Amino acid sequence: MSDIGPEMPEDDALAAEHALGVLNARERAAAELRMAREPDFAAKVEAWRERLAPLAEGVAPVAAPAGLWPRIVRSLPANDNQVGVLRRIKFWRGATMGSLGLAVASLAMVAVLATRPPQVITPVPAPMMNARLMTNGGQPLFLAAYDPERKAVLVASLVPPGTDPNHSHELWLIPADGKPRSLGLVEPGASKSMPISDEMAAMATEGASMAVTVEPAGGSLLEGPSGPVAAVGKLARI
Amino acid sequence: MRILSDREESEDVLQEVYLTIWRRADRFDAGRASVMTWISTIARNRAIDRLRARGPLAYADQIDEIEIEDGAPRAEALLEASQDSAALNHCLSELDERTAGVIRTAFYEGVTYEALAKRLDTPLGTVKSWIRRGLLKLKGCLER
Repeated sequence: MSDIGPEMPEDDALAAEHALGVLNARERAAAELRMAREPDFAAKVEAWRERLAPLAEGVAPVAAPAGLWPRIVRSLPANDNQVGVLRRIKFWRGATMGSLGLAVASLAMVAVLATRPPQVITPVPAPMMNARLMTNGGQPLFLAAYDPERKAVLVASLVPPGTDPNHSHELWLIPADGKPRSLGLVEPGASKSMPISDEMAAMATEGASMAVTVEPAGGSLLEGPSGPVAAVGKLARI
Repeated sequence: MRILSDREESEDVLQEVYLTIWRRADRFDAGRASVMTWISTIARNRAIDRLRARGPLAYADQIDEIEIEDGAPRAEALLEASQDSAALNHCLSELDERTAGVIRTAFYEGVTYEALAKRLDTPLGTVKSWIRRGLLKLKGCLER
């Protein structure tokens, strides 16, 4: 390849290239496969990821992200809905920062990398809301968000996959009238988007409760919940 | 205009990142890396996976709209920077300008060797050699 300077051993070089992200799709898939099979190789890749990770700090000063987002938003096509985008960004920052402190820099990176040529996007009026469903002990078990634009509830189960296969977890919306309405079942460890009816959408307001109950496999046979409540939370504007 | 112009896809990536973080939270080793760098790494990997789905030459053309730091970090960034970051930046500055530039571009834009070679109008083998030798020097410097 080159006669100037020393070369890295092939394995280490490949690990470094994979961590840097210069491999094409085929090479990348092969590297991932090797990581799964060979712990030594995986450790090399992880070591390189750690070496390079501080570069992400150069994307934007983490303590002062204020200047970054306006810049990104300013560069959006004129037909885009800036408020909607900002709200979403806020949602993802809020949802994750609360528990793990997801840094703005990593979102900026995603924004930079995971984008495509512009598309026409129509404006959205209603606010997005989310709810953290916790156990009695305060442990979050489910995370839900209501997206009025898609008329859907996004839910993520933080219950380890494969837990208690003999029961189902059923998600409920409990509006002001106090009567639980079923939104559907959520498998342990899964995340999904559940479309909801217009009638139900009208009930997904700020302060409405959401709950998950443990039901017989397939869900409650009654109109309302029949099993114990696993976790509850309230919808709040993001 | 590329930044955030496809809301759906960015959202998808963020959702994946977010869920990955939740699933792997137990694997996070606080002694080895900051939460932020750990999350950034996950975010970056997911985004590159998406980018690769578009083919090896995605972003073979320079993206002008994005301002990426070319060398010296801003003053406030320097104040915020961790020791790791300071060490890495120091080591990058020890490389020749071209090599450091290519490594930074690869990291920040997630482009393939093929795309880099096309962008720089340089044979792929040469670009590969620059990066490999640069990374080796970087490693040596960081271990000092």
